[in-house]
Amino acid sequence: MKRLLPILAALLCASPAVAETLAITGVTAWTMTGRTSVADATIVIADGHIRSVVAKGAVPDGARVILGKGRVVTPALIDPATQIGLGEVGGIDEERGSSVGKGPLGAAFDVSYALDPNAITIQQARADGLAHGLLFPDGSAGAPFDGAGMILRVGATGASVERSRAAIFATVGAGGAGAMGGSRAAAWLLLRNAIAEARLYRTAPRGTGPRDQLLNHLDAEALAPLLAGTVPLVIQTDRLSDIRQAMALAREERIRVVVFGGGEAWAAAAELAAARIPVILDPFDDLPVSYDKIGARRDNAALLARAGVPIAFSVSAQGIHRSWNAAPAMREGAGYAVAAGLPYVDALAAITTGPARIMGLPPGTGTLAPGTAADLVLWDGDPLEPTSAPAMVLLDGREISLVTRQTMLRDRYAPHR
Amino acid sequence: MALGRQLTFLTTWGALMIGLLLSGTMAMAGPPERPLLDPEAYPGTYHAPSHGPVLFVNATILDGAGGRLDRAELLISNGKVEAIGHDLRRPAGVELVDAGGRWITPGLIDVHTHFGTFTLPQTSADGGASDVTEMSSPNAAGTWIEHAVRPEDPAFRHALAAGITTLQILPGSSVIFGGRSVVVKPIPAVTVAEMKFPDAPQGMKMACGGNPKGYFGSLGRAPNSRQGEFAIMRDALQEAQEHLDKRGPDGRGGRRDDADDEALMDLVSGKLIVHVHCYRSDDMARMIDLSKEFGFRIGTFHHASEAYKIAPLLAANGVCVATWSDWWGFKGEAEDGIRENAAFVDAANGCVMMHSDIPVVAEHLNVEAAKAAAAGRRAGLSLPPEHVIQWITSNPAKALGLADRIGRLAPGYNADVVLWSGDPFSVYSFADRVYIDGAPLLDRAAPTRPSDFELGRSILGAAR
Repeated sequence: MKRLLPILAALLCASPAVAETLAITGVTAWTMTGRTSVADATIVIADGHIRSVVAKGAVPDGARVILGKGRVVTPALIDPATQIGLGEVGGIDEERGSSVGKGPLGAAFDVSYALDPNAITIQQARADGLAHGLLFPDGSAGAPFDGAGMILRVGATGASVERSRAAIFATVGAGGAGAMGGSRAAAWLLLRNAIAEARLYRTAPRGTGPRDQLLNHLDAEALAPLLAGTVPLVIQTDRLSDIRQAMALAREERIRVVVFGGGEAWAAAAELAAARIPVILDPFDDLPVSYDKIGARRDNAALLARAGVPIAFSVSAQGIHRSWNAAPAMREGAGYAVAAGLPYVDALAAITTGPARIMGLPPGTGTLAPGTAADLVLWDGDPLEPTSAPAMVLLDGREISLVTRQTMLRDRYAPHR
Repeated sequence: MALGRQLTFLTTWGALMIGLLLSGTMAMAGPPERPLLDPEAYPGTYHAPSHGPVLFVNATILDGAGGRLDRAELLISNGKVEAIGHDLRRPAGVELVDAGGRWITPGLIDVHTHFGTFTLPQTSADGGASDVTEMSSPNAAGTWIEHAVRPEDPAFRHALAAGITTLQILPGSSVIFGGRSVVVKPIPAVTVAEMKFPDAPQGMKMACGGNPKGYFGSLGRAPNSRQGEFAIMRDALQEAQEHLDKRGPDGRGGRRDDADDEALMDLVSGKLIVHVHCYRSDDMARMIDLSKEFGFRIGTFHHASEAYKIAPLLAANGVCVATWSDWWGFKGEAEDGIRENAAFVDAANGCVMMHSDIPVVAEHLNVEAAKAAAAGRRAGLSLPPEHVIQWITSNPAKALGLADRIGRLAPGYNADVVLWSGDPFSVYSFADRVYIDGAPLLDRAAPTRPSDFELGRSILGAAR
């Protein structure tokens, strides 16, 4: 222990840089606490938290001033469905931390044990302005369950598990048919049975297995938070009939459900809004990529938001963007949703406050409200134009390095040198 | 494989000789000729629809060749660009389109799609046997992708709606020699012949690196290494060269060989434009060495995530690069991909272009160019819109061997025109109108006729 003390002291000494007071002046600030931005705003940051965002606000004595020069500031981004940190490179079995194909783990499969905070996907996402992400599993040995997702906190230097088992994931439909062995009917039956058995497991005396229980104790225990209502069941599904099945499941089993994918969700917008079932969708998803998405259309987000459905964006590009371009792809998707009719502030919300609420992050996360962690990005242009990039990223009030392995390769091979 | 073919050759030839000797027709000294495969055997039937002249006024025009004209005019008639500039003459009966300051560019060109062969909706049935590639042998050079194309693929309509007026359909990359490509116009059609770009050169798809060795290696077959891939390439090309030599200067000597051989003879004799799937710089450099050994030219490296590491080499050899703006990391070969890839190839005076590969990217090819250029600008390069538009117009036209017909708005060029709702390099912009050969193929404001696929689908009916 004695030997550890100097190390701890060094760590404690390293962090007070957080306490620096900053004032970012002359920016257009999207605080995401209302539907408008604050023009010519001064953002004051102290102790790693937002102190104030005020039009033409005063700069406190001793604050380091950052001239915003009319540029836009938004909260740092929050990704409702990503796989950064779960593998270094694609196409390699041992780097695929997001799925398991054998063994006893279904709903109990927990991706948080696979997290690598040193992954270059996290390094890149941090420099691209991401603060939190919901890391999702995409396959378990207990289909239709994919396992449990975790909330990742991307910090100024590292990254950590903010909450493991933050949501249970399942896949129903075209994406999960193979793993199910056939009909999607089986997926719904097994989901319902799993919930029923998990309920019995909670109440039945130990050692008296009810009937012919299909769920093993790991999966039954993993579903307890779902029954308690502390985590949602995120169902990856697209077809309208399956979305209605998801709604029925939520209603009849009294569990929280989130639709992920939702290619045809627009057709049930009013019902989803009434049931307060959120949809995590890809705004680029406007092609009949599978028979489950015959009704996919580019104004899906606009129609859902207009009906009052809580939405959040995650852009796939066949899964590539979910790990390797998570943050810029979300912005591009949000921009495209605006082009397809979604109000600008709603698009910005779908990559900040929208995901924060779906993920159950503390109130204020994804905003620049006073008292919240100073996670923000100063953009070199319109944040919803993919041609823009961060000019500065602050996490917990600390300016983070924008140098990544990618920029180092860039600098090594740049022409005119 | 080469050995097997030689044995077949000897056996067949021996049997023929025996037959000839027995029948006593010794007068036939030379080998009997089988007619050569006819490269024109599958003619296109595309006819440009006739449409009256159109004059666009008050437009910001990017001409595709590096020029930008503000508050300018464009006159198209008889399917061609007639004039571009200011205060153009107004032919009698000309249809006037006031762009109101909106932007006009040439129709976009996508050199890398699998449309009509990896047809939407994709299903589990495509897993084992899609029509993207004939995968029974690493050498599928004899295949023609146009024999598989289904025009009903919704990807064509979405590409047109995104301003794409010409696209190439390539075989996939699981095999070394993938077969002949086809260049089409994404117009409503029920046969591929109706879509074929008239007199467009054919391409040959090749693949290097991880895909062929990964696929055949997993089957316990050759190749299962990069060196194995090269050995197969050299064997096949050597054999094609030998057979080509036997044909003689008039092309009539020797005998007809199988379709794979015929295709590779066309490759080494420069009749096919060579498109090579490669990611790594070392792979690309070795492929250039191979092309020099056999005296053919590589037209374009596709994907080419590490092109930026060898940009001067590529430029010096006149090899184009077709890539995405920001895909990286999804496979080991793409681990070093950077967002500045296209811009750095361009900065070395290379010929670079954006490609889609998958339908959702084709819907935003303009934004692909925008993203790639933005990364280049942040790295200090000067990349104005009139230059960047070449990455999706005249550079891909060059890669398809069609630089004299498409990719530019200049007198005599095909009147493939896109009128954009705003800056074509903005995520907020749409193609408002798309013309192919002077005919209006798309008007965003007009209701669209449902495709055969869409017809009678109630989920779509609900949308209307």
